[in-house]
Amino acid sequence: MLETARRSLRFRNLLTTLTRREIQARYRGSVLGFFWSLFNPLLLVLVYSVVFGLILTPERGSGLDPYPLFLIAGLFPWIWASTSLLESTVSLQAHAGLVRKAVFPVELPPLVAVLSNLVHLLFALPIVLLALLVGRILGYAVGGWALLLFPLVVVLQLPLVAGLALALAALNALFKDVRDLVSNLLTLTFFLTPILYPVSALPWPEARPWMLLNPFAPFTLAYQHILFHGTAPPVYLWLLMALDSTVAWALGAWIFSRLRDTLVEMA
Amino acid sequence: MSDGKPAPIRVQGLGKRYRRMTAGAHLRTLKSALMDGSLLGGLREEETIEALKEIDFEVGRGEAFGVIGGNGSGKSTLLKIVAGILQPTTGQVVVDGRVAALIELGAGFHPEISGRENVFINGTLLGLTRAEIEAQYASIVAFSGLEAFMEEPVKNYSSGMYVRLGFAVAVHTDPDVLLVDEVLSVGDEAFGHRCVRRMEELLAAGKTMLLVSHSLDLVSRLCDRVLWLEQGEQRLLASPRRTIDAYRQSVADAEGREHQQEQEQEQREAEEAGTERWGSGAARITAVRLLCGGEEEPDRERYLVVCGDPLTFEIQVETTIPLEDFVFGIAVATPREVEVWGTNTDLHGLEAVRLEGKATVRIECPELRLGPGEYTVDIAVHARDGAPYDYRRRVVRFTVTAPERGAGVYFPRHRWHFEGGVACRPRPRSPEE
Repeated sequence: MLETARRSLRFRNLLTTLTRREIQARYRGSVLGFFWSLFNPLLLVLVYSVVFGLILTPERGSGLDPYPLFLIAGLFPWIWASTSLLESTVSLQAHAGLVRKAVFPVELPPLVAVLSNLVHLLFALPIVLLALLVGRILGYAVGGWALLLFPLVVVLQLPLVAGLALALAALNALFKDVRDLVSNLLTLTFFLTPILYPVSALPWPEARPWMLLNPFAPFTLAYQHILFHGTAPPVYLWLLMALDSTVAWALGAWIFSRLRDTLVEMA
Repeated sequence: MSDGKPAPIRVQGLGKRYRRMTAGAHLRTLKSALMDGSLLGGLREEETIEALKEIDFEVGRGEAFGVIGGNGSGKSTLLKIVAGILQPTTGQVVVDGRVAALIELGAGFHPEISGRENVFINGTLLGLTRAEIEAQYASIVAFSGLEAFMEEPVKNYSSGMYVRLGFAVAVHTDPDVLLVDEVLSVGDEAFGHRCVRRMEELLAAGKTMLLVSHSLDLVSRLCDRVLWLEQGEQRLLASPRRTIDAYRQSVADAEGREHQQEQEQEQREAEEAGTERWGSGAARITAVRLLCGGEEEPDRERYLVVCGDPLTFEIQVETTIPLEDFVFGIAVATPREVEVWGTNTDLHGLEAVRLEGKATVRIECPELRLGPGEYTVDIAVHARDGAPYDYRRRVVRFTVTAPERGAGVYFPRHRWHFEGGVACRPRPRSPEE
């Protein structure tokens, strides 16, 4: 697992170049270009805000206002994670030309998927900050100094997403079923993660701790602490995040390294 | 190799086994990969296929090493293993120095972005830093001849342009070891020449090259030694001339067997129709063979001839009644029926004395100076007044290859002389060893 990390670092030149290429290529030929990385998540926020903020207004408990800001806090990082995983699952096939025909470290395509989507998240940050500013002006206690912890959570989440990305990319080369499985699992995970609702909204209090088994839950809660509540995440969340990330990276890197030799032939 | 350092490419006991992927095999591969770290462990013998076995060779510094063989012989697998793209199943492969693998030119070009940006990406892929690419950029563009298209997305490039840009980047990486797989067939003639020249320059500069190609001309022009692979096995490793000749002979033999029945069938049909064989039958040509002639193995049959080699045409003939009036004739033509050479015993000034029972007639050519190509042979025996006893059209075919290219059917021995304000010199690497 350290070996995979070392290899990836050794090829960081290539990693940055390919990530840049991925980002450049995505919006080539579209009029609005990179603004789509802002509009796409914003549109989603709008839809959920209307559906769960205006049409369905269940007893979410108090303290969720303004609801769009609560949504943004959990949704933007989730979009990074889920898009990364979807793209990395098929990344070896998408880069088949490179993987099969060039002297090329195979771990790069899944990592490029994760990094290029991270860049999209960073592009969207000004919008998040603007929204928080508006929230402040309207008198809500969102944002604040806790915002400085945001990069730390992102850095902690990177090994989690990257580890899963490596595992999924490797497994999808062997079993094409993985892609369909992943897209369904992601939808499921989205609703199991407290993004649209707070953990306290669960009608069965005894089930609440179990939610934290979902590795995305501690991160979502941490983002909500930092962006929405304006408070530092509690220690147990930091520990969970570190644990989830370490385990996911170790597992993903191990699976990938075990299958590496076959990936070139099967991509 | 003379400098005492180890050869830059060393291949020892190399074997490669691929997995045939059946549904169940995927699961077992996964299981065995995760449990014991072996990709083949869980597979039964019949679920794998041996692509290469027991390959051994070394390529020395400054040497050009060719690999030839039919489709599926393992050439490309070998190259990919040497490049480090695939892992060997058994044996060892060591490559020293910076490697440029021209396996698929422009692999890694992104269709949506400009040629210029792709040069930088491709260069990084091949191990250059950004600064190195910037320094080489003008030269890369000039080499590709695509100055006017660098800002265009490469999806608008023709396949030839794609390859040109890819090759231009690859040869500017200053590689120590150049691995080339059949990549030059896409560009136009002029670019092909430029690529070959560039490869010759790299060789002259002491770079090492491994070339996989179906173009035997290119291999014999560039390479010092050639390896012939057949179904993953090392058939012959020798000088280009020996290996290529042996390979051609084997291909010709295989084709010969394949076409023999076909030809016999055609012949029979033609005989019945009277278009391929006619005559009174007073004498019958029972067999025609081509023999090597010369001194080494004069009686070995051969249908693949190198221009300038000796060749003997052997005719077996039978008569039921003794004849005193007969002429033997031969005519060589191209498949498109352009007559190349024809003669007979009468024209040669020979007078018939007797022909009875079984007889053998040989026409020996000490030096056949035909241009490269395929030829057919007509053999006839007829009376002096021309009345045929047995005329056999296209009774046998042969192929001529030449160490240098040229046009036409006649290849005289020749030499170039220059005087006054003109000078030429041999290319850095001459065609043959």
